[in-house]
Amino acid sequence: MSERDTSRPVPFARAVRAMFDLTLEGMVWSRRSVLMAFLLGLPIVFAIVYRTVLAAHLPPRVTPFDFYGGIVVFYYLRFVVPLAALFYATALVADEVDGKTLTYLLTRPVRRESILAGKFAAYVATTLSLSLPAVVVTFFVLMTARGRAGLGGAVPDLLRDLGVLALALLAYGALFTLMGVLLKRPVIPGLLFLFIWEFMANLPGYLPRFTLTAYLRSLIRHRPAEEGISEIFGQVLPTALCLEVLGGAVLVCLAAAAWIFSTREYVMDQ
Amino acid sequence: MTRSRLVVISSLAVVGLGVAGALGALYLDPARAAVGPLPPEGLALPADTRFVMGFDVHRFVASPFYARFGKGQGQSRPPAFTELEEKTGLNPERDVDRIVVAGRAATKGQEGGLLIVSGRFDRTKLSRAIETETKGVTSKNHEGTTIYLFREGAASGARAAAFLDDDTLILGSAESVEATVTNHARGEAPLRSNAGLMALLETVKPGATFWAVGDQSVLSRLPLRIPAPGGEGAVSIPPLKSVVVTGELDPLVALEMTGEASDAKAAQNLADVVRGFVALASLQASQRPELKELASAVSVTTEATRVHVNLRLPYELLDSLQPRRPVAEGSPALR
Repeated sequence: MSERDTSRPVPFARAVRAMFDLTLEGMVWSRRSVLMAFLLGLPIVFAIVYRTVLAAHLPPRVTPFDFYGGIVVFYYLRFVVPLAALFYATALVADEVDGKTLTYLLTRPVRRESILAGKFAAYVATTLSLSLPAVVVTFFVLMTARGRAGLGGAVPDLLRDLGVLALALLAYGALFTLMGVLLKRPVIPGLLFLFIWEFMANLPGYLPRFTLTAYLRSLIRHRPAEEGISEIFGQVLPTALCLEVLGGAVLVCLAAAAWIFSTREYVMDQ
Repeated sequence: MTRSRLVVISSLAVVGLGVAGALGALYLDPARAAVGPLPPEGLALPADTRFVMGFDVHRFVASPFYARFGKGQGQSRPPAFTELEEKTGLNPERDVDRIVVAGRAATKGQEGGLLIVSGRFDRTKLSRAIETETKGVTSKNHEGTTIYLFREGAASGARAAAFLDDDTLILGSAESVEATVTNHARGEAPLRSNAGLMALLETVKPGATFWAVGDQSVLSRLPLRIPAPGGEGAVSIPPLKSVVVTGELDPLVALEMTGEASDAKAAQNLADVVRGFVALASLQASQRPELKELASAVSVTTEATRVHVNLRLPYELLDSLQPRRPVAEGSPALR
């Protein structure tokens, strides 16, 4: 059995994998995950209530597909997915700093970029595992409420929604990872970004292009009727532009986060 | 394997199973057709077809819309259907599955349209009804198919009907019917060469109760100026290059319209026109409260050169928009 050359750092891929396993174990079995699993799974309850109570007893004003579209647009994409990204991604480094455990990681013979890469991979695996099954179950509970008619026609929307939600987790996750390595208290600025800055997506002209949500919303096909200025100025950005901007945002944010994390001197409070 | 990895793998397995089930549902969907919602026999339509629209008759008949507006007042079915069934044995509510309407280039005139009716027919009884009940009908054999010709010598052109097969009846102008019969008999699909229309059909969601796609040549016949809200002057509507409409009738009337304008500015103008009418409806809500609901039932968005209009009309709203009938003297309401 060959011994590793201890004068060199652990190979990048091995270090990423080890960091992934370590972070995943702490991330999946945490109180944060219980809360997020509840929030991300709540639409399943909405769907069951719609199917068993609303659809049967109330005047049918919303079709199951419209209800599903509303959940994807208003609940997942605008609220809970960015929130999950905020709480998990800002904590990737901040939790280690708060717990004063970052020193133990930084003194290992691994490159700092591999620590961040492993943690981000664990974030992606955890959030995808919590959110996507809930979307799939919600889709089937709602779309079979009136038999199988219309189920096949809605499948392309399901696949698109799953892709867009995964992209949303990546884009918001990369941004909040950057905020996490840059700021000591990243949650409040993150909340301000989500609920103040992202509101620009409802404004006219080029302002929506300075938000992430405008690109994400443009990629999904559900267009629920809205009231207020978001309806007046509703615009959908071209798909190619959305993919380019979101892909670019992920790469730039992750590269910047990796560079800051690998060069920054972290001083632990005593 | 760690517990955490097990959780991740289990979750992703649920997603994988869901996606596999969804793809299975898509593949096995009875509404899945040759191109978008168009059935295979529709591909035999002439290549110069400019618009195609379709109805799922079973879903239409089962919808609250048909119950409210399709049948006569207090009747279980339209009287014309009863008469048709007596003469031909055909009950459209029961026997017809799907109707596809196609229109051809302007050079073929307004009479160049075609109807493809799919369902279960008593072919013998229906053929006999055509031969005996219709005056001046003649028939000829064309590519092994009997074509019935009506109104030969009429200024608007002869009409024709033919069975493409036991389950498919086509009706329309003699020239269009003959062309379609020829294409079907030879196994040709000339509509596939109409790339523009094919691209539009691909965008239609399969399984819709009704749908329609049309290109520029059809839309050029539409008026480009409409009366302005309030009745003063007129509003210019930017010309459209294509339009795609899909609709559902149960549990509410749901319409999705996508129009493609010549450029982004024209699309924005068109969206503004629609929003203007919606805003006007909102302003009138103080006098007619039901209009407030109408305003919130419409969503308008633009995507580069496209305008999407999404309409969701509950039947209660449609009822409230109907003109109120005067109450007859001696009716229970006046007693």
